[in-house]
Amino acid sequence: MGSTSTKIKLRTSDQKVFEVEKAVAVHVIHVHSVSGDILSKILDYCKKHVNSAAGKEDISPEELYEWDANFVKVDQNTLFDLILAANCLKIESLLDLTCQTEIRTTFNIKNDYTIEAEEAVRRENKWAFDMLGV
Amino acid sequence: MQKKMAYSFPDEVLEQVFSFIQSDKDRNAVSLVCKSWDEIERWCRRKVFIGNCYAVSPRMVIRRFPEVRSIKLKGKPHFADFNLVPDGWGGYVLPWIAEMAGAYPWLEEIRLKRMVVTDESLELIAKSFKNFKVLVLFSCEGFSTDGLAAIAASCKNLRELDLRESEVDDLSGHWLAHFPETCTSLVSLNISCLRSDEVSFSALERLVGRCPNLRSLRLNRAVTLDKIANILRRAPQLVDFGTGYYAAELQPDVFSNLAGAFSSCKELKSLSGFWDVVPAYLPALYSICPRLTSLNLSYATIQSPDLIKLVSHCPRLQRLLVLDYVEDSGLEELASSCKDLQELRVFPSDPFGAEPNVSLTEQGLVAVSLGCPKLRSVLYFCRRMSNAALVTIAQNRPNLTRFRLCIIEPKTPDYLTLEPLDVGFGAIVEHCKDLRRLSLSGLLTDHVFEYIGTYGKKLEMLSVAFAGDSDLGLHHVLSGCESLRKLEIRDCPFGDKALLANAAKLETMRSLWMSSCAVSFGACKLLGQKMPKLNVEVIDETEPPDSRPESCPVDKLYIYRSVAGPRFDMPPFVWTMGEAVRILH
Repeated sequence: MGSTSTKIKLRTSDQKVFEVEKAVAVHVIHVHSVSGDILSKILDYCKKHVNSAAGKEDISPEELYEWDANFVKVDQNTLFDLILAANCLKIESLLDLTCQTEIRTTFNIKNDYTIEAEEAVRRENKWAFDMLGV
Repeated sequence: MQKKMAYSFPDEVLEQVFSFIQSDKDRNAVSLVCKSWDEIERWCRRKVFIGNCYAVSPRMVIRRFPEVRSIKLKGKPHFADFNLVPDGWGGYVLPWIAEMAGAYPWLEEIRLKRMVVTDESLELIAKSFKNFKVLVLFSCEGFSTDGLAAIAASCKNLRELDLRESEVDDLSGHWLAHFPETCTSLVSLNISCLRSDEVSFSALERLVGRCPNLRSLRLNRAVTLDKIANILRRAPQLVDFGTGYYAAELQPDVFSNLAGAFSSCKELKSLSGFWDVVPAYLPALYSICPRLTSLNLSYATIQSPDLIKLVSHCPRLQRLLVLDYVEDSGLEELASSCKDLQELRVFPSDPFGAEPNVSLTEQGLVAVSLGCPKLRSVLYFCRRMSNAALVTIAQNRPNLTRFRLCIIEPKTPDYLTLEPLDVGFGAIVEHCKDLRRLSLSGLLTDHVFEYIGTYGKKLEMLSVAFAGDSDLGLHHVLSGCESLRKLEIRDCPFGDKALLANAAKLETMRSLWMSSCAVSFGACKLLGQKMPKLNVEVIDETEPPDSRPESCPVDKLYIYRSVAGPRFDMPPFVWTMGEAVRILH
């Protein structure tokens, strides 16, 4: 089990090669179905979240929430591609974010949750009303 | 290019759409889209599942979901099954029933597991819910046949009464007669846990006869073999049947009557019961064996040759529960006859005996893993195992999702090499990529936990006993197993360091149980202070933990996340840690 500063290489469907730190790309990845542009965006997302969690970047939860909101302000095609890639790469937080955004976009819904309110509902859902697969 | 749909649905339409969404996970996702979706969803959520009754309060559930029709609650931790949770620990359902009696007059279903249910609770259920249909009490205790009589008498539309594996006080055998003659709605009745005299057979016969939709009927030991034919002839539509005693002196007319009754049950797919079996009566089952998908012989003291004969008649078997009398030879037959097998559980006939009483070894399990391509779920008690066998099993069956191995004697090494079984279990977690539940046994070092932390990415529940060398073992699991929700540990040298270093992980899990480990009272207090959203409960029946130095290990520790804060129904031997709580007692 290597250290977090190890670098790994990813090759995309359009033959672009990316080199990233292992902490950013946690799993063994098959990226032949993901294009260079999408992978680039995804790596931005992962870097932002890993750096914020590790304390390498000074960013408050509210600022990160807002960064995420801006991250998904893309056209619908790109949003679809992000969903598929997040699903394929098993990045659950990005999948949640993009799917919710997709639903809200399709149905023209404004997310009127404050960050605290959303966190409270999310916590109650997971801690009280969650089923195991076992 | 997608067209943007710039309109909003009226609430009734959304509600209609949401009514098709049954899974909790999906409904939880819906609730996070925006506040109005949450509002609509919560008014139309009809089913709730609460995996830990102390993770949330009845009031909070009722406030969020005002129109619930079906609730499932779990109480005591799993290790209660091994008598590690003292009596009086908690898990009382009465406060839930009391709140729901007022808030949910249309409640239809209550399913409970490992909870304390009193007659008062049952009487309250009978009185409060006019449309009550389903009561499932799985491994519950605290009630008597008086409570059952109240349910039988009052619940006019009762569909299911299932008391599986519960402990019931025997007060009167006549509670069954309390079902009114007008009750014809029963679909499922499981009274297999009742002790001998708690059943009035004539009342049972009449009840069965007047319920045309009865699909599942599990009798108790009081019902003798000669009575089975009468019952079956009244319910030929049964899909699932549990016998009582399956023993009697062999009489040709009784046999042919029984065989005839079984053969008239064209839908019968699942059998259980079989206390005290006389093998000569097993051929009475042969006509239905070809259709059987589930067979529970875990009480049947049948020897291997008879088991082999029976199993060889059941090619469609998907689920088999059996005692180790089946032996390796019986499991080899199973492997060759039952290609649809998905679940196997082998229980010990003599767990406390010093010497093996049967010839059941790792070979039986290896044979089944090789012969049964659909095998997903294993619970196996045995006395010896080897790394080689475990590696073979792992390579044969990478589709395993549940693997529970119980080598009876703690710390038993690989019988061939005398080494720990780290490599064998390592192979299991490495090859079985969808493994969700794992129970370890045998001689194990910290290495096995390193494998588990590295490969067990989908593991949700892990049970550990008498294993590991140091805190590193626990650290590997808590830092590596991303999907871990329930961890239960006994008699392992795991202490403060790993627990405190991974405190945040505990908020991502449903619960952690540690007993007879090395976690100090001081660490428990610190954890309680650091993590206010966790309930850190210390259990000690001998003396209060603060009557000893802080560095002394606690006897038992149960930690769980909760949105309800600390509980207030603890017995004198349970203490909650925490800053605000000040060692609540």
